[in-house]
Amino acid sequence: MTELSGNQAGLRDSLATTVAGKSGFALGRRLALGFALFVSATCGALAADAMPGMAKAKAPKLELGASAAFSPDGTLLVAAKQGEHVMIYRSADEGKTWSAPAAVNAQPEAISADGENRPKIAFAVDGGLLVSWTHPFPKPNTGAIRLARADDGQHFSPPLTVHKDTAEITHRFESMLVLPDNKVMLAWIDKRDLEAAKNGKTPYRGAAIYAAVSNDGGRTFQPEYKLADHSCECCRLTSAIDIDGSPLFMWRHVFEPNERDHAIARLKPDGRLESVKRATFDRWKVDGCPHHGPSLVVDGQGVRHAVWFNQKDGAGRVHYGRLMAQGSELQVEGQLTVGGPRAAHADLASAGHKLAIAWKEFDGERTQLHSMRSEDGGKTFNTQPLAATDGASDQPRVIRRGEALFAFWRTEKEGFRLFPLP
Amino acid sequence: MKKSLLFLLAALLVLPVQAADFTPLNKSTAAQLLDPASHRQPTIVALWSSDCSHCKKNLELLSTLVKSNKQLRVITVAAEPDSAILGPLLDRYHLPGPRYAYGNDNPDAIAYAIDPNWSGELPRTFLFNGAGRKEKVSGVISAQFAEKALGLRF
Repeated sequence: MTELSGNQAGLRDSLATTVAGKSGFALGRRLALGFALFVSATCGALAADAMPGMAKAKAPKLELGASAAFSPDGTLLVAAKQGEHVMIYRSADEGKTWSAPAAVNAQPEAISADGENRPKIAFAVDGGLLVSWTHPFPKPNTGAIRLARADDGQHFSPPLTVHKDTAEITHRFESMLVLPDNKVMLAWIDKRDLEAAKNGKTPYRGAAIYAAVSNDGGRTFQPEYKLADHSCECCRLTSAIDIDGSPLFMWRHVFEPNERDHAIARLKPDGRLESVKRATFDRWKVDGCPHHGPSLVVDGQGVRHAVWFNQKDGAGRVHYGRLMAQGSELQVEGQLTVGGPRAAHADLASAGHKLAIAWKEFDGERTQLHSMRSEDGGKTFNTQPLAATDGASDQPRVIRRGEALFAFWRTEKEGFRLFPLP
Repeated sequence: MKKSLLFLLAALLVLPVQAADFTPLNKSTAAQLLDPASHRQPTIVALWSSDCSHCKKNLELLSTLVKSNKQLRVITVAAEPDSAILGPLLDRYHLPGPRYAYGNDNPDAIAYAIDPNWSGELPRTFLFNGAGRKEKVSGVISAQFAEKALGLRF
């Protein structure tokens, strides 16, 4: 067994990207530099545009987006990008040592793993290991939702595209949910309705959410269908299973005219849409892209807990709240602010009577990882710092193994890190 | 020397116009760039990213504004490191000013240096009137708003 840290793997990935990116531009850059020297020497026209930091040194594009999950036997699995492969890393000792990574997709293809994008991991009810990701097409902001399955948890079948639509448009930011009866559901942001509206020169707010169901543990998918019009365009989705086994998907929505609050869809156990309801009420009006998606979990008592980012009363903050039924609508109970003014990208999970939230927060010098834990269903919390880093970092994830909760955080400098949340 | 200049000119004439590279923006540069004292003429610092569909509307507007008033300078900052897709996305707006992309520093530190009250939403636009005043706004902006903040007529 070769041991290496996630950090080494991450660096190798970024180096490969940089080298590949540089070679194609060398000639153009040399000419551009030559032209700049020529013009500034002869007429000084660019002098007014001289700004600090003009030295050219390209930063590598770090794509740290990773997901972590414990397998049924307790092994920690991480899915992360390395070049044009999704790789699975395994740790039998809670992240102290890692196996050599194994490729999910044998054939290389582009993979999204930055910002709100990351490959996802899940275990089908029949034990199959499922890995999903967004495969971006060359045209910006387009892509396809891909899924690969390993019956034995080791050897992956070639990935399939979960939707039938083959247009070069947005199908991105998927969320994957494993259901009883060996069903697997994915939902994602889809711009086919926006594209149709553009072609017909009619206005269309935001994008749409589409979903596809597999009845055989992710081997094949039924044709996709629309859950809702007017989602926000580029915030991650989240999903959870309701107390009665019904799938739930939650996303940032664009309520009229431009309120970027959240919506939640409840589906019937067979995957048909039951309802779409407004879930948050902060009324952040912006014609812009927040790049902050929500997280949702349903605890053992059936209470839906969520964390999300919104500007409320002019201040952008992370919020926690319980999404409770009030007649046929939802209302937020116990809404509170998570962390300080720079808190961002929170995630949460529950196990037994415990609920844990993790988020990152820049303190002016370093990026801190914090956690908040509750043992009374989210009424009161204890806050605790977990770690800090000087470099770039992925969004943190809260994951569960039986009754135990952990925060998982991938950082540029330290690699994969796991923090027990007792 | 003369020969090499002639060669460069010839090369430029036969090649399609190549837009300038992106300058890496790190935290110290970011703080300077967003300091009103750095701007002695009406200037817009426009943050955008390849993922941001709403940013296109602002870039289109800036493209129009910069043509109609030569006093205005537009500086763009891509809130992500340079990659093969960034240049072509920005080239279509023919903005003449400097273009930056995130450098090697912790992206959270760069964002903080740009504006400690910015949460990463895009577009984010900073408008300097060139005489010490700075306004900032998230989302799509209008020509009227830009006129007022910059003290210019378009």
